[in-house]
Amino acid sequence: MFFRRLTLRLALLLSLLSASMAHAQSTFRYPEDTRPSSLLPFFAEDMSAVRMVELLFDPLIIKNKRGDFEGALAASWKVDEDQGGIKFVLREGVKWHDGSPFVADDVAFTIQAAQDPKTLFNGRGKFNFIREVQVEGQFGVHVFFDRPIPDAESRFLFKIIPKHAFSSTAITRKDKFVREPIGTGPFKLKKGGYSLRSIALEVHSDYWKPSKISEVLMQHTPDKSMQISLLQYAGGKAGVQAVIFLPPKNIPIFENNDLVVLEPYHTISWWYMAYNHTNKALANQAVRQAIALAIDRQELLEAHLGRGDILSGPFTESSPFYNFQVEPTGVDTERANQILESAGWKKKGDVRAKGSVKLDFEFVMDKELASNQALFLGIQSHLKKVGITVRPTYVDHARYRDQVFTRRKFDLTLNIWSFEEVEDVYPLFHSKGAINFIGFNNSDVDTLLDTARATRDYKKYKEQMKQLHALLAMELPYFFLWSLDIYSGISKTVKSVYIQPYYYFTSFAEWGLSP
Amino acid sequence: MLALLAVTARRLGAALVLLIGASFLIYITIRSAPGDAVDAITPMGTPPEIKAQLAAEFGLDVDPVTGYGAWLKHSIVGDFGESLVIRPGEEVMAMAAPRFAKSLLLGGSALFLCLALTMLLSILMGEPTVRHQGLTGFLYFVTAAPSFVAAVFFTQGVNEFVRGVVEGSGYETPPWYPIPISTESVMPYFFAGIVLVIGDGLFMDMLNGIRAEILAVRNSQFIAAIRAKGASTLPHIAKNLIVPAVSAYVSRLPLVLGGVVIVEYVFTLDGGGYMLLEASKQRDFPVVVGLSVLFTASIIVLNLVADVIRTVVDPREVARGG
Repeated sequence: MFFRRLTLRLALLLSLLSASMAHAQSTFRYPEDTRPSSLLPFFAEDMSAVRMVELLFDPLIIKNKRGDFEGALAASWKVDEDQGGIKFVLREGVKWHDGSPFVADDVAFTIQAAQDPKTLFNGRGKFNFIREVQVEGQFGVHVFFDRPIPDAESRFLFKIIPKHAFSSTAITRKDKFVREPIGTGPFKLKKGGYSLRSIALEVHSDYWKPSKISEVLMQHTPDKSMQISLLQYAGGKAGVQAVIFLPPKNIPIFENNDLVVLEPYHTISWWYMAYNHTNKALANQAVRQAIALAIDRQELLEAHLGRGDILSGPFTESSPFYNFQVEPTGVDTERANQILESAGWKKKGDVRAKGSVKLDFEFVMDKELASNQALFLGIQSHLKKVGITVRPTYVDHARYRDQVFTRRKFDLTLNIWSFEEVEDVYPLFHSKGAINFIGFNNSDVDTLLDTARATRDYKKYKEQMKQLHALLAMELPYFFLWSLDIYSGISKTVKSVYIQPYYYFTSFAEWGLSP
Repeated sequence: MLALLAVTARRLGAALVLLIGASFLIYITIRSAPGDAVDAITPMGTPPEIKAQLAAEFGLDVDPVTGYGAWLKHSIVGDFGESLVIRPGEEVMAMAAPRFAKSLLLGGSALFLCLALTMLLSILMGEPTVRHQGLTGFLYFVTAAPSFVAAVFFTQGVNEFVRGVVEGSGYETPPWYPIPISTESVMPYFFAGIVLVIGDGLFMDMLNGIRAEILAVRNSQFIAAIRAKGASTLPHIAKNLIVPAVSAYVSRLPLVLGGVVIVEYVFTLDGGGYMLLEASKQRDFPVVVGLSVLFTASIIVLNLVADVIRTVVDPREVARGG
């Protein structure tokens, strides 16, 4: 009796402490694993920044739910007959968050800033096709290309930034704009809303489309289990209204849940195990083939990650380039052992070796990829059965990037590739590719990639990609693993949810919150 | 008085040398760690020429020792540089100082609370008895968990309590629920303070130390003499406890500030500890060095203040060399 009275008094005390600080009813809250690296669209190179920028800025064109192009800042557009340019008529009456009018000069400035060699960002290559920009009055822009571009609209999904907020087209990562952005998007930064742990936005009252939600709060919550708690405890009423990515092991918590709905969405991303081809043993195709036959991907996927598709090549099954005629290899430990024996890799104790070269590899992993440890243990036990040993090295994220991608000091590694719109694998597998960190060099693959890059006909391009898929499934530059079924956990108080692949919040203005 | 000033001046000189040495070590360590701020912010496939230009923009193109020299030159006049990653372009001290002050207040208050509680408990417990063994055993068990474990259990416990009792009783749920939701409420700081008191074995460590000191003073001959004269012993016991209490406080402050870093991260409190961890993860070296200097300087300054207090209370400290 005493304890019951005590707990009730404590409950009353806690409730009274809170009474003056009730939540805003239409604040949409969501946690992110990482803080956005920048709020300036050019430098928004991580996914949390991509999502935040989506709320703050608009592009000329968006891709709508049906996958069609739809005008955002552009009221209309017309591609030149020779496909050598595109002419935009801009939406009139659009205002920046500081009240200044949006005009054609802003579009020209965005392109010029992106092309300025002193603006240092990775996506500059996406603007290389633009030869010239002509401003035609206040609301007309004519963009000329350096060559005919089919499907030109897809090149204009980049966000527009205001000319009046910058003193020059050379924009640095330390620019004040990074912390105090001014966009035309449905939400603007609240005064003092950019803190280390959270970013608070309020609705842009002059937005050209009505928004149903009045405030957004992104909070940095690095621990995934804490994110789940925030959604689970409060059921989205007082806690957070969405968890962007639910780890598969947590999905059952929200199945048939009264307060939270599982919202599937598509991401163009796939997992892989990369071989360092500068390692003599791993440069041997027989070794790579044996590894592929020894590892049971289905078992690893089901045990540690949940649902997904086992892949046979460098595309997701939903991709137009995925070659369904190439079946993913199954597990065959016996055949893996035979292949290694025939290739001269003989067992000496637990490890196979040929001369002085042992099948003993350093497996470097990023600590931030939480499932790595469990996956590694599975892979280690599978490979042990065929006489291959792997030693783990766990490093933090910055060190991982330096060790694997810059210094290339690894034998095996596990990671994920995500793509924005187009699944361009040229940089991954061409011997001169910018992201070919594995040292893969195959003349057939190079020729096919070069031919595909020069192809203007989309149908032909698709066929070439399917050929590439088949070739890479045979050559195994990576061991292609799987693509996951991705789910967000979203409170049932959130209405009209549509999650845009990759960008997530593109249609957020249409989302609503019921009390 | 002159002797006191001399001791203070000598300590200040030593503190300055210590601060420079510590900043050098921190700077060199963070600059020499694999991966840098450019690696942390640029995506895969960033052309090497862009990475090189960014490295130059961030001042990473000079060797760590030269870089430290430049940093020291600027920091002497109060310019600790700008953040590279976590709040790009913002002056380090402008962003670090208020957050550090929060952390110091959190850690300092938690330690003060711990000291007050342990003193009170020591006085209440009096002479050791068999009954006390059960109590101290229980306290050892409760307070032995590392602060990050205590923080996780505490948040889960409070969340469960609010869900089960507060919501269940029909009361309005507090704005800080569920922890760690982003809120303006001060309650998460209060909870973090409790975790600091009970985590890392701090409470029992303090209790043992303070209790031993109280017992030693109470059982000393001069207290017995005062008691025999019929005079009040309390002022004498209190005065003789100032030095051990100040020593206990100052000696445990570094441990508590270490705990603050972890606890702020679990509760996602926008303080210096959370900032230090974020900056370290992203190799934002100006922020890491700036904050580390603040943490080190605060410990040095508090030690200095403690020395002065000790010397004022007990002038024999000067004779012992301060």
